[in-house]
Amino acid sequence: MDGSTAAAAELEAAERVVMRWDSTASASYGGGGGGGGGDEQMLFDGGGDRVEAERFLRAVDDLRRLAPPSPATVGSPRRTSSASGGGGAASNAVQVAMARLEDEFRHVLTSRALDLEIEALADLTSLSMCSDRTNSADVAEEAAAAAADEDDSVSSSVGRRSSYRSLRSIREIDLLPADAISDLHAIASRMAAAGYGRECVQVYASVRKPAVDSALRRLGVEKLSIGDVQRLEWEVLEAKIRRWIRAARAAVRGVFASERRLCFLIFHDLPLSSSTITTATHDAPFAEAVKGAALQLFGFAEAISIGRRSPEKLFKIIDLHDAIADLLPDVSDIFAASKAGESIYVQAAEIRSRLADAVRGILSEFENAVLRDPSKTPVPGGTIHPLTRYVMNYSSLISDYKTTLSELIVSRPSACSRIAPEGNENAPSFPDLDLADPDSQLPLAAHLIWIIVVLEHNLESKASLYKDAALSHLFVMNNVHYIAHKIKDSPELRGLIGDEYLKQLTGKFRLAATRYQRTAWLKILNCLRDEGLHVSGGFSSGVSKSALRERFKSFNAAFEEAHRVQSAWYVPDTQLREELRISIAEKLLPAYRSFLGRFRHHIENGRHPELYIKYSVEDLETSVTDFFEGCPPSLHNRRRSHG
Amino acid sequence: MPVTEHQGSSSSPSTFSFGRSLLSLRRDHVAMPSGEEADLEAFQRHFAASLGELLPGEVEGGGGGGGGGGGGGGEEILSVAWIRRLLESFILCQEEFRVFVAQARRRGALPAAGEKLVVEFHERAVKALDVCNAARDGVDQVRRWERLADIAASVLLAPGEIHEGQLRRARKALSDLSVLLVDDTAASGSGGVASFLASHRNRSFGRARASPSRASLAGATSSSHFRSLSWSVSRAWSASRQLQAIGAGLAAPRAHEAGLAAPVYAMGCVLHLVAWALVAAVPCPDRSTALQAHHLPAAPARAAFPWAPPLLTLQERLAEEGKRKDRRNSCGLLKEIHVLEKSTQKLTDAIDAAPIPLFGDREADVREAAAELAAVCAAMRDGLEPLERQVREVFHRIVRSRVEGLDSSMHNAD
Repeated sequence: MDGSTAAAAELEAAERVVMRWDSTASASYGGGGGGGGGDEQMLFDGGGDRVEAERFLRAVDDLRRLAPPSPATVGSPRRTSSASGGGGAASNAVQVAMARLEDEFRHVLTSRALDLEIEALADLTSLSMCSDRTNSADVAEEAAAAAADEDDSVSSSVGRRSSYRSLRSIREIDLLPADAISDLHAIASRMAAAGYGRECVQVYASVRKPAVDSALRRLGVEKLSIGDVQRLEWEVLEAKIRRWIRAARAAVRGVFASERRLCFLIFHDLPLSSSTITTATHDAPFAEAVKGAALQLFGFAEAISIGRRSPEKLFKIIDLHDAIADLLPDVSDIFAASKAGESIYVQAAEIRSRLADAVRGILSEFENAVLRDPSKTPVPGGTIHPLTRYVMNYSSLISDYKTTLSELIVSRPSACSRIAPEGNENAPSFPDLDLADPDSQLPLAAHLIWIIVVLEHNLESKASLYKDAALSHLFVMNNVHYIAHKIKDSPELRGLIGDEYLKQLTGKFRLAATRYQRTAWLKILNCLRDEGLHVSGGFSSGVSKSALRERFKSFNAAFEEAHRVQSAWYVPDTQLREELRISIAEKLLPAYRSFLGRFRHHIENGRHPELYIKYSVEDLETSVTDFFEGCPPSLHNRRRSHG
Repeated sequence: MPVTEHQGSSSSPSTFSFGRSLLSLRRDHVAMPSGEEADLEAFQRHFAASLGELLPGEVEGGGGGGGGGGGGGGEEILSVAWIRRLLESFILCQEEFRVFVAQARRRGALPAAGEKLVVEFHERAVKALDVCNAARDGVDQVRRWERLADIAASVLLAPGEIHEGQLRRARKALSDLSVLLVDDTAASGSGGVASFLASHRNRSFGRARASPSRASLAGATSSSHFRSLSWSVSRAWSASRQLQAIGAGLAAPRAHEAGLAAPVYAMGCVLHLVAWALVAAVPCPDRSTALQAHHLPAAPARAAFPWAPPLLTLQERLAEEGKRKDRRNSCGLLKEIHVLEKSTQKLTDAIDAAPIPLFGDREADVREAAAELAAVCAAMRDGLEPLERQVREVFHRIVRSRVEGLDSSMHNAD
């Protein structure tokens, strides 16, 4: 009897403490008690005085310990014999206490939140510089910047304002000070014990969700619908992708990871679920707080992953793919533990694989574009076709992205040549691709060679656009030489394509050079041959003067024509140009010198020799240096200066 | 499709065309006579059949609460179960369409104009992706309501007497719920139930908050804190405009237009219908504008296609639902939302009318209302998650067929 009256008194005291803090009627009760003075008075106000708070929590515990089990704690075994009046008062007191605690929980969570140092997380300063820079689609520069990024970001991730540029690994930040977290845990554990876990979770999510949303907004994550993304220019999207990658790292590794830790610290050992909800785990509050933000974050990448596939997108999409692939383990770590969060991991993984598909699709789109490039105007002077430059720059970028691409590109292009023309008669004929040893070669390498084969194929049809066969050979020479040189200049590309194919290319442009010389010079050199000059049956000086004059005249005319025309042709590579001139000179000059030596006296003895012998050997030698300069000839000037 | 095909299947062409050949095999058996026409006819027949299955039985199955009742496919229109079947039908139709197109392509019967039609459909379908995302958010939001409603319901259904403590707890949960509903309805652009609930809230909960300053403060904080709705789409996004874009240029092919014109039109119609139903069913931005019935697709002539009658009936039924007085201002036409709103009101009224201590009829009223609410909560818990997954599945299917479209249009360019 004594014990129970003591308990009743204790219970009553606890109820009194609790009722002083009735949230819904604090004005009427509050004045009386020690703590509840003003309207806004809170128990947990972050100040030094925790006496009242502790007393309140003790009272809540006493209520729980002493009161007949409240029917409100769902799932607890029913006790039938509770005095109804007392039970009602106690359950009312519990409700009052819980409403109070809910307010306190919200108050602490809201008022004690630390300012998230977003700028430090995402290095927003360098980010804005980035977006200012002109978007010249200079992917190489971009790649270099990324590499630099790689270097200096591994460094210290300790200390708040360290010099990292973007997060390489999970970095949990204190979202609230430790004492506030322990208050929250103290409150949450009372609420959970009284069966008010769901209310607690609701409050938690309703406070943290806007906080997460605002953190993402500060990181520059925009709300873009798929339609928005589809409408934007690719250049604009490139800048957004760049920004997104940084923001996503900061969001996942900083914001989400910190949110998960906060949730863990507050809820990890609490029974949150009532019997009716089976799925709630201790990170359910976390999942509810961040799910919307996470879906929105990945929504952008998803929108990119389903966009149209065009070659210029390849490298930014690889960047995006790599960024997500890099984030996936952390996304898994952060989200995959809870059922609510799992869908976020699943979605991120789906996006990654869709981006991988996009990369493959774009590469084959590129191959097709190279094969079909339709431009029908021959470039003047037989110089390097813009397509060749574009394809080779693109190819060397492909080789820069070798690490990712050789993971993603796992089938060889050979299937293409068989399948693509099926049912499509007007497809251009496909070049043959016979690759030496399929097993020893990366599929990516096979694709690169395929791209070059296809390019050569296209160039050959472009070469046939020239009316002058010599120019057509010169065009092939220039372009194939350029291809070979680009390969030689890039160790990555050379490593992938291999010396064997490079040798083939070298042979090909040399052959083109030979063909050019044969086509362009044979007729000219034929003027300098002896055949047909000697009068048949003649005894001593059996040279036909008129024939000789004709020869000199036609040589002069042919050479002048060649000089006039081929000075406008262009060999952009200085070494190749020089070699070609030397090669011409080596054939032309000795032939002319000996022809002159043998026949000049026949002309000089006659009238007006200057009409027939217009050039000295030196004149020719000088003239040859005008060839392939890509500008109008200056023969007359030179002749005068020599004359 | 040289690079896309990556799963180590070397260069075997049979592996490559596995999907197509399997389907075409099946098709060839079914449709013996002349390829194209038979295919077209089969497609339209299947299409009509799957739409027909969605027509609700004319008997209103008077079951309350959840989606439990019904049995063999007789779900009530716009219930979670019905929406799920609608999405299933869409997926089926889309699959048929894929086969049809692949079939035509294989026969070489797909001229450039036909490919263009397919591309047009894919473009249209891509516009539905944002609707899928909005619907996903909306479903998520409904689950949030359910969690609050379930607190109120389960508190009052717990064994033992109902004391003031329980009533206050339930009332608080209902109050928080009404704040959410008000906000969401406002975001969706309509007013009715929400404004009712808002005024109701002031009436019934203001009373409990004795001090005006305290009460207004608490009210302000709690409502601003529960204002947690955030769409993942941009603020300017509007379901109404999106639906218009999906339906734009959707016109019945003329009689002489053969080939793909009819199936593409059919797919466009069903796509629009599905998008419209999703928007109508769950909260999403600018939903109420979208519900003006004239945003429904221009109707095909009833006799023109075998699938036109069931489609038209469906459209009419949906439009009717939208116009029903008790639903017009709802947060969503989803049957379960309607029940949730109704039983939330009922429970709020019952609590307000209840004297303390509860006894007799009053207690029975409260418990009955709580039981109704609990039932719909249970139905939502069971149904909404699969629905969300299925919305996602529709998203995937649309993306997949578009990507396939991108690949094949690439090969058949010029």
